[in-house]
Amino acid sequence: MENVINAQQITLGYGRDEPVISGVDMQIKPHEFVFITGKSGSGKSTILKSLYGDIVPLRGDLNVCGVNIKNISNANLNLLRRYLGIVFQDYRLINEWSIEKNVMLPLMIGGFSKGVCLKQAQKLLKHVNLLHKADKYPLELSGGEQQRAAMARALAHNPVMILADEPTGNLDEYSSELIWDLLKNAREHLGTTVVVVTHHIPPDISINYKHYFLESGVLYEVS
Amino acid sequence: MKSLKNHIAVILPLFVLLFCMQLLFSINTVVQNYEKKLTDGYVIMIVSQKSLDENILKSKIASIDSMSEISSKEILDRLKKDISSTNLSLLQVALPKFYSIKLKKLPSQKALDGIKKEFQKIDSITKVETFSQTYSKIYKMFLFVQQLSSVFVVLILIISVLLIFKQMKIWVLEHQERMSIMTLFGAPFWMKSAFLYKLAILDSILSAIFVGLLFYYAPQILNIKLFFESIDVVFPRFDLVADLGFLLGFSVIFSFFIVSFVIAKMRTS
Repeated sequence: MENVINAQQITLGYGRDEPVISGVDMQIKPHEFVFITGKSGSGKSTILKSLYGDIVPLRGDLNVCGVNIKNISNANLNLLRRYLGIVFQDYRLINEWSIEKNVMLPLMIGGFSKGVCLKQAQKLLKHVNLLHKADKYPLELSGGEQQRAAMARALAHNPVMILADEPTGNLDEYSSELIWDLLKNAREHLGTTVVVVTHHIPPDISINYKHYFLESGVLYEVS
Repeated sequence: MKSLKNHIAVILPLFVLLFCMQLLFSINTVVQNYEKKLTDGYVIMIVSQKSLDENILKSKIASIDSMSEISSKEILDRLKKDISSTNLSLLQVALPKFYSIKLKKLPSQKALDGIKKEFQKIDSITKVETFSQTYSKIYKMFLFVQQLSSVFVVLILIISVLLIFKQMKIWVLEHQERMSIMTLFGAPFWMKSAFLYKLAILDSILSAIFVGLLFYYAPQILNIKLFFESIDVVFPRFDLVADLGFLLGFSVIFSFFIVSFVIAKMRTS
């Protein structure tokens, strides 16, 4: 089966002379659950950014869902991102929109009718125990609730792959458990590939996963 | 409150811009109407020994609109009692032809001198009377106001464009986070910017309507009406379809262009 992510000797950085990570090789198959761990500032988020095309590899080849990120056009990048669900540590919800509308965003971008968007958003909000707060705005919710809403948004359009950057970094135990359950369920029931960047892998996570460890700009696969 | 302030920051300069434009159009129409009125009442008298052909004269002097012969019959009728019929017949033969010439537009003094010289070049013409007091003071004042308002409108246009640009930049910055989140989920350009376009179009429609209503109702206010009557000016009627349509169209296209420009500029920077 073709890899969802295929990185060959990629160098990533924010300027041509300042590589953060170099010589990265990474192959991720469909339906895999992958952790990328490392210390703060090691470049974990940089790797994730390259996976959704926010930064382009300085060297090497990076293919995501069969699309070469290096020479990708804006239109193709938009198209690729419609197959991804992204979760951030700082939630990145649109504060001027209700939680419900935030969850509807990927579906609206996908061109679904308002009725379909609304139905799916309500289904997912129920799934993350936030249906009763559907008409609230992000700033009216706690951090845990905002992250659950962000999770619902990431799942709304049944993405091929979920990319999560420290999804439980700021959360209480209840919300953290709920997020991990949602990620596990997405992989188990929907066959979604999940890539999570985190400091620590939860010790009680009952799932087969692949683990990459990042240190001093080099990515190691932990067996 | 903040949102209202944001709207006013666009509506106000747009309103001023459209107001000045409409005012300039109105002044131009007033001047044109007044000029037409003056032109209609203005004639050049020429005296010729021979009959003149209008077409030949028009080919020599392009600014001629029409020519009409002034009949000498009335003068001769008055002399009938005092002069014998033989002398009257002689006089009729000897009497030159009088013509009244209308021009296409009211000329300046310089142009009028040129026209007079052209007439004088024609052999048969013995006398040209141009009534050199061509421009009334009020007409000169209108021309001055027209020129002045053109300069004024250009200045206002520049200031308004700068103010609108600045406000649009604020809008874009305010919505940059929203736009970046939408970008992460693959939203196309039009979807990310739709909100800004909606705001800009709404504000331009409101500005155009305010200006339209002002120009429609203000000339109907008694004091303003009396003022225009006192200076013998008919203020052009604001057409709610054509004029408001133009203002709406201009305003929407203008703000659409500015939003696109600001977004494109911020994207590249």
